[in-house]
Amino acid sequence: MLNATLYLRGMKRSVKLLIVLCAVTTMYVWIIISMFEPQMAKMLDGYVDLMPELMSSMGMVAGATTLIGFICSYLYGFVLLVIPMLFCIIEGNALVAKQVDDNSMTSLLAAPLKRRTIILTQLCVMISGILIIDIYTTVLELICANHYFPGELDAGELLLLNVGLLALHLFIGGVCFTASCLFSEVKYSLAFGAGIPILMFVLKMLANMGGNAENVKYATFFSLFQPNEIAAGDHGALVCVAVMFVGAILLYGAGCTVFCKKDLHI
Amino acid sequence: MSMIRVEHLSRDYGGGKGVFDVSFSIRQGETFGFLGPNGAGKTTTIRHLMGFLRPQSGKCFINDMDCWEKRDRIQSDLGYVPGEISFFDDMTGTEYLSFMEKYRRIGSDSRKKELLDFFELDPAGRIKKMSKGMKQKLGLVSAMMHDPQILIFDEPTSGLDPLMQSKFVELVNHEREQGKTILMSSHMFEEVERTCDHVGIIRSGRMIAVETVEALRERHVRAYTVTLSDPATARAFAKDFGGKQDDCRVTVSTRQSLEEIFMSYYGGEKDA
Repeated sequence: MLNATLYLRGMKRSVKLLIVLCAVTTMYVWIIISMFEPQMAKMLDGYVDLMPELMSSMGMVAGATTLIGFICSYLYGFVLLVIPMLFCIIEGNALVAKQVDDNSMTSLLAAPLKRRTIILTQLCVMISGILIIDIYTTVLELICANHYFPGELDAGELLLLNVGLLALHLFIGGVCFTASCLFSEVKYSLAFGAGIPILMFVLKMLANMGGNAENVKYATFFSLFQPNEIAAGDHGALVCVAVMFVGAILLYGAGCTVFCKKDLHI
Repeated sequence: MSMIRVEHLSRDYGGGKGVFDVSFSIRQGETFGFLGPNGAGKTTTIRHLMGFLRPQSGKCFINDMDCWEKRDRIQSDLGYVPGEISFFDDMTGTEYLSFMEKYRRIGSDSRKKELLDFFELDPAGRIKKMSKGMKQKLGLVSAMMHDPQILIFDEPTSGLDPLMQSKFVELVNHEREQGKTILMSSHMFEEVERTCDHVGIIRSGRMIAVETVEALRERHVRAYTVTLSDPATARAFAKDFGGKQDDCRVTVSTRQSLEEIFMSYYGGEKDA
């Protein structure tokens, strides 16, 4: 079903990227959580009053009085979306399309392995990376919150929130991975695999600014992720999380099927 | 028994490109030279044999298994050196070979060491920094270390220096003695002449000849009889030109090189 050698190679190759992204995440999470103080919250709210469009385009809204509300507003609107998205784009492209484009996939295919085994192994590398980022983020947030504000952060709520975040990341990963399976050239794989998520994110930022632009939210899948509502256990928000999970599975399934059946000019 | 069988294989890329109704078969233990100019369809045919491409029509078989349906099973006894060789650039040669050994699950009977010695290749350096010839040797080692019964080489000697080319010919002849079935595409007529017993010539996607190397040569032998002034001159003439002397008359025959034979198929009219 899977090839351990290929999996280990994939993980080894993505370690560097994971370390860099986790380091950046650490910096942001640590700073933002340490900033949670009534005083600092007031200052950030002051920024929101001063430049509401810019702040809200980053998903930052005023009035975050609880720690979870605070991090929903200041972490889950930008940093924790963009950093894993970067991973999905780079890794999704590198695992399939790049290797077809530069012919190195030949080495993998000229061996007694089913294409299904190869593509499922590559998919596992991708999902493992997303899991590592999200589990690391969760643990980091718990440690950080416990360090600065013991007892302030509800672990249950945070876990639920991060399951929602994981669903979103897997879905973005699905878009990148499927694009990578679909196209045999890096330029097309990136045009779709990076283009779609970035476009969707820009639309989300636009929708966040409110006013007439708010209707744009119906055009982007980022609207399926509603951090405040998920943390509160809102039913509708959880249904959206389930939709992202199902969407991710369908995308991965489609990508793998295409790869197994397609002509490879390598 | 035919080991490799291509039946009416067609793939149309449009604009006259592709392969059209290609058929040939290679018996076990045979060495088959696949000759044709660039863009004639050699690599396309090989990609079908490797199960990378699904035939638009026609079929191909290796060891009686369909090359598209059973590609993973076929691969267990097949070694392949692609024309445009490409490895994982971030690895060293040593890392690549041990990766392939584990990836293919080749156990202790790997021929890696023997082949590295044969090609005098030190794979320690980064693949990215290797010369084309070194990459080619690395590809050959990687393709043969699991000791496959069937070998497919797509222009295997490009990038090798003449010394290594004869080394390669030596290797092919050795493998042939072991009863391996070999398909190699080539521009090098001399190397095909030295290694192969059958030749297929492809042009613009169509097979224009499938023959034994011998038959191909025979068809292109020309004999001339010249009469000289006296037997002594005739003897000297026969000696210098490798002819048969009969009193004042000497019969000499010329064999066209495979290259000339090849040109007779290609020369002249551009499309046919």
